[in-house]
Amino acid sequence: MSVHDHHSAYDRPAPGLSSGRRVSPTWRWFAEGIWCVEHAFGRARAHARPEEDARVRIFVILGLFALVFAALAVGAIHSALMAPRSGGGYAGNPNALVRGDLVDRNGALLATNIVHYAFYIDPAEVWDRDAAERQIRRALPEVPAARLRKVLDGDRRLIVMPGLTPAERRRLHALALGGLSFEPEDRRVYPLGASVTHVIGDADTGGVGISGAELAFNDEIRQAGASGVPFALSIDLRVQGVLENELAAAAETNGAKGAVGIITDVQTGEVLGLASWPTGDRLNRVTSAHYEMGSVFKTFTVAAGLDTGQADMNTRFDASEAFMVGNRRITDFHAQNRVMTLEEVYLHSSNIGTSRLAIEMGGPVMRDYFTRFGLMDAAPIELKESARPRRPRRWDDSTLASLSFGYGIMITPAQMAAAMGALTNGGRFIPLTLRKGDGTPVRGRQVVSPETSRTLLDLLRLNVVRGSGGFAEAPGLRVGGKTGSANKLVGGRYDPTHAVGTFAAVFPADGPVDARRYSILILMDEPSAYPRTGGYVAAPAVGRIADRIAPFLGVERRADAWRTARGERIAAAPAADGLVR
Amino acid sequence: MTMWSAPRTGLQRLFDWKVRGIRWVEIIGLLLVAVMIFSVYVAKAGAAREGVRISELERQIADNGERVRLLRAEVARLEQPGRLEALSRSAGLAPVDVHRRASEGSLAAIAPVPEPRPVIIAPTTAAAVQAAADAGGPVAPAGPEDGR
Repeated sequence: MSVHDHHSAYDRPAPGLSSGRRVSPTWRWFAEGIWCVEHAFGRARAHARPEEDARVRIFVILGLFALVFAALAVGAIHSALMAPRSGGGYAGNPNALVRGDLVDRNGALLATNIVHYAFYIDPAEVWDRDAAERQIRRALPEVPAARLRKVLDGDRRLIVMPGLTPAERRRLHALALGGLSFEPEDRRVYPLGASVTHVIGDADTGGVGISGAELAFNDEIRQAGASGVPFALSIDLRVQGVLENELAAAAETNGAKGAVGIITDVQTGEVLGLASWPTGDRLNRVTSAHYEMGSVFKTFTVAAGLDTGQADMNTRFDASEAFMVGNRRITDFHAQNRVMTLEEVYLHSSNIGTSRLAIEMGGPVMRDYFTRFGLMDAAPIELKESARPRRPRRWDDSTLASLSFGYGIMITPAQMAAAMGALTNGGRFIPLTLRKGDGTPVRGRQVVSPETSRTLLDLLRLNVVRGSGGFAEAPGLRVGGKTGSANKLVGGRYDPTHAVGTFAAVFPADGPVDARRYSILILMDEPSAYPRTGGYVAAPAVGRIADRIAPFLGVERRADAWRTARGERIAAAPAADGLVR
Repeated sequence: MTMWSAPRTGLQRLFDWKVRGIRWVEIIGLLLVAVMIFSVYVAKAGAAREGVRISELERQIADNGERVRLLRAEVARLEQPGRLEALSRSAGLAPVDVHRRASEGSLAAIAPVPEPRPVIIAPTTAAAVQAAADAGGPVAPAGPEDGR
């Protein structure tokens, strides 16, 4: 017999379960489990196994606590690490463009993203549609009337007009009309308007560049935007402003159909200014228009002659009479009718002299040097618009003669700028770039010797002092350059009423070949003013531009062998007489 | 048996400590769980409050950034070189002629500093005044004007 209670006392069902109330099976199972655990000790004592029962009870409690805490831990971890940030955190504009600002080399803003608003109307919430239409059109006259009426007459929420500015949105919001709503959308904004437009280009509403630098540097601009930093171009907005203003003034003065200007740093290839006039024309004439540029090409012919050793500045060429190449008769525009040195050939812009030199060098040499100067390929610049030149198919004597004075090949102004840079920086061909440099020297490809480059710099300067480029003189800035005048091919023949006037300049022309130096190229397309030669239509603009941008570029005014720092002629210098312009 | 029966008895007493048939150990455990749940709730509520505040600050930063961008764009528009040149031309301004420009070093040559006027040292004692008068030299009146 046992002194303990009979086991039936502990095997009874849980209290409250036999009262006849209907309870759910889950609750019954749970209550029985609790009851079973609660009286397990008594049952175990009844079965004379108290120690086993204690272990079971401890294990059960331990298990329960472990389960609860495990569940809590899992919940806490899930809440802390994996739960979405519902309502927390600023999501920002969901339509924001991931595109960095474009700035010039000094940080001046060229392009940015501004939040605009798409204007929606839900007609179901508009009380008086006619009154709403009147008020909206009064507040925002730009809204398309037909579209507004269509949306108001519809039965669902539709967009009325995209791209509202914050001010326009405020005007509509102030109407306090029901059913009007706005959704933010980032838009690419060009605060300079038409200025610098051919450099910057454009980006579509999705934030992808479609022209200009926006296209050329699309990936880098997007990376810059993701990093929150601007993307700097090589353009100097001050230089660009002067270039655009003077180019427009010159084009209007000369009654030109179009005009082109490009300013580069010849030692780095950086483009400091690039303008194509008229600015409203989407065609970027600097990179995409082809021109036969005329006598500017004599610089390349002379450079090839000097660099190959075929000639030096004292080599004489007979220009006393017309030069016959087969049946073709080559004459000079301002004939001297005498034997001239190479220097005189250049300064008098003698077609006969350069034709003779080119034919003496031969086709392979000319082709080699034209290739070296980048005249046979598209201008090396990041812009996708850079067009390939129209090259001659044959390289016979007649073609060589034409090429020597800038006919028979059509190149882009960007090609000319790159080639002139190579001839004036010590002979290194450096690709043009719109990317701001970091100040490190650019090596480039050696295309002519430094001595040839030095000789050409002197020759270019002499051409301004004594030759055809006199109107390009800027006091104290030692401008050197070469004029170019060509007639356009119209209806199968060269028409003198459709001319192109060019001036390719560099300043300062003195100093070491690796000194800081800038090139300016101005081209007038079909000027209507007479004379239409480059010395008259393009050179004056070059002089004014050099005069105005020199302070920005840190070029000091100094005297040289021919002119004082204030532009007065130095008496000891040889006078220029009888030279053409 | 006796060596570990004493702690076992204490442990049993702890387990046997009941209120209304429910052991205190279980009640304390439930309380601990409740406290833990509540503390998690409080922590989450606090985090949510901070999250809302952070969101508000982020929104303000974004709004201010947007206003800055707008203002920068407006400044760029107003300062574009073409517009400034047009305004300058309309105001009668033009690039300065090279003959009217000067470097900092040449300023002295353009407008030389005038020669200093001779300084007259006035006598300060009566004897010196008399001596100066006798010699026909300048006699400065004494008084507050001397200090000018």
